[in-house]
Amino acid sequence: MTETIQSPARTDGQQIETIEVSKFARFKSVGITVVNLTIFFTIWELVARAEVINSLFFPRATDMFAALFNGFADGTIWPQLSHSLTNFLIGLAISAVIGIPVGLLMGASKVADLILSPYVWAMTSLPRVALIPLLILIMGFGNSMQLTIIVLSAVFPIMVNCMAGVKTVEPSLVRAGVVFGASRPQIYLKVILPYTLPFVISGVNQGIARGLVGMLIGELLGGGGNGLGFLLDRAGEQFDAPMLYATLILLAVMSVGLVQAMRWLEQRAAPWRDISRA
Amino acid sequence: MGQVEARSAPGAQHAADERPSEPALIEAAHVTAGYDNRREHTRLIALRDVSLQVRRGEFLAIVGPSGCGKTTFINLIAGFVKPLEGSVRVRGEEVTGPGADRAMVFQDYALLPWRTVERNIRFAMENRRGHVPKAEQAERAARALRLVGLTGFEKSYPHELSGGMRQRVGIARALVTEPEILLMDEPFGAVDAMTREAMQAELEKIIAETRQTVVFITHSIDEAILLADRIVVISKRPGTIREVIDVDLPRPRFDEQSDVQRSPRFGEIRSHLWSLLADEALGAKQEGATR
Repeated sequence: MTETIQSPARTDGQQIETIEVSKFARFKSVGITVVNLTIFFTIWELVARAEVINSLFFPRATDMFAALFNGFADGTIWPQLSHSLTNFLIGLAISAVIGIPVGLLMGASKVADLILSPYVWAMTSLPRVALIPLLILIMGFGNSMQLTIIVLSAVFPIMVNCMAGVKTVEPSLVRAGVVFGASRPQIYLKVILPYTLPFVISGVNQGIARGLVGMLIGELLGGGGNGLGFLLDRAGEQFDAPMLYATLILLAVMSVGLVQAMRWLEQRAAPWRDISRA
Repeated sequence: MGQVEARSAPGAQHAADERPSEPALIEAAHVTAGYDNRREHTRLIALRDVSLQVRRGEFLAIVGPSGCGKTTFINLIAGFVKPLEGSVRVRGEEVTGPGADRAMVFQDYALLPWRTVERNIRFAMENRRGHVPKAEQAERAARALRLVGLTGFEKSYPHELSGGMRQRVGIARALVTEPEILLMDEPFGAVDAMTREAMQAELEKIIAETRQTVVFITHSIDEAILLADRIVVISKRPGTIREVIDVDLPRPRFDEQSDVQRSPRFGEIRSHLWSLLADEALGAKQEGATR
């Protein structure tokens, strides 16, 4: 498929070789994914048609797609999806706005770290579900309670990562900042913050994963009557297996999409990072 | 100067030629420095009663066993560390913190990885202290890059460069604000042997042009002899000055014709330094055995 061609030596002595790459190479990974998914859904369909497993738990792939299509067509899915997505994004934004500065503060100030870390670590390790009864007691069933659980899930991993980022800044970079005349605010702005950026992003990444769990918990147990969690709950109660699976697929697509977006951002934010560590 | 030689360097080969009319640029007087370990309520003394003067335009090398307080000494001049006793003065003024008159070259380069070569060099000019007007920055950066032979690499990132090239950036960054004093903490410790030799030759050329006063820490005896006007030998911890040696070899020392490394004088200084440092290494070993 590929072959190399020697190009004439350049005037500056550098030897640059051009390589010929097949036109289809670019589409190779996309192609593999398409084939892969096709096989997956085909096997699913065949297994379901063979009725080895009760169709109540395991619907046909085609039924699932039909439920997905109809759900969008008759407007049962979209309002719930948009409710979940909006809630989640607002919750994540609030978490970032609180978590990033507090985490940076904890990394920079020993006193802040000593005061806050018991609470932060307790909240980071406490299973989020345990908070639901209390939150329902305080806020009742509804949107604010769902939003709160998303924030409580996402904010602590963001905080902890930002703190770790500041604490791992290479001391010699800070010393270089001092030697070359930077004031304390300048050192924070020009050395510590850029160094911490990849940590902030991986914190947000973890915040996404935890926040999605929080979102579902809130919608499943909070009984607000909306969101993807509500769709799941109702489909389960109505023995609507195709709808149940369709919602799960939607959730998977949503989280994979968010994680991929963050990965893309991560590579943009610190292209020096993985290369220099290699 | 004479005081130092008399007290801590009885075997000095040459008395430094003193010019009392010209005051020393850097003057350390009876400096003791150390680090507190608050958890164990102990204090590690890194340097004890060190007195030393550095003349304007001098290239001073400091050699000694690992952990002898060489870096502490350079940090005292840089203003990172405050002496427990005694004083460090630059131009007669007590050092209270870092200043624009002193720049540093780090062993691990300490370049900002998210900045290009040019923006790393500009870093030295854009901060509160030692600020250079924006209009002048580009020209100065270009001049510094030309000085270290990196013209054409302005837009490269540090991770795209070799170790030697990265340290050239580090040197350019230190020189761009034209500081009086250049502090170099084992600057070539992390580059390979071939590059190291080339960098030494280049440093001699650069300093001949810019005429900085240099304090240079190194592990390498040969490097110290090839670069320095004077070599300070520091004993193992707590560091004291064992001897100050004048290197009276002609310059330029990296000239193809001069071949300083094969001159008898080079050999003499070298074997003298070796015997001094072998003492130190042996002493450390014996102490370790008795412990």
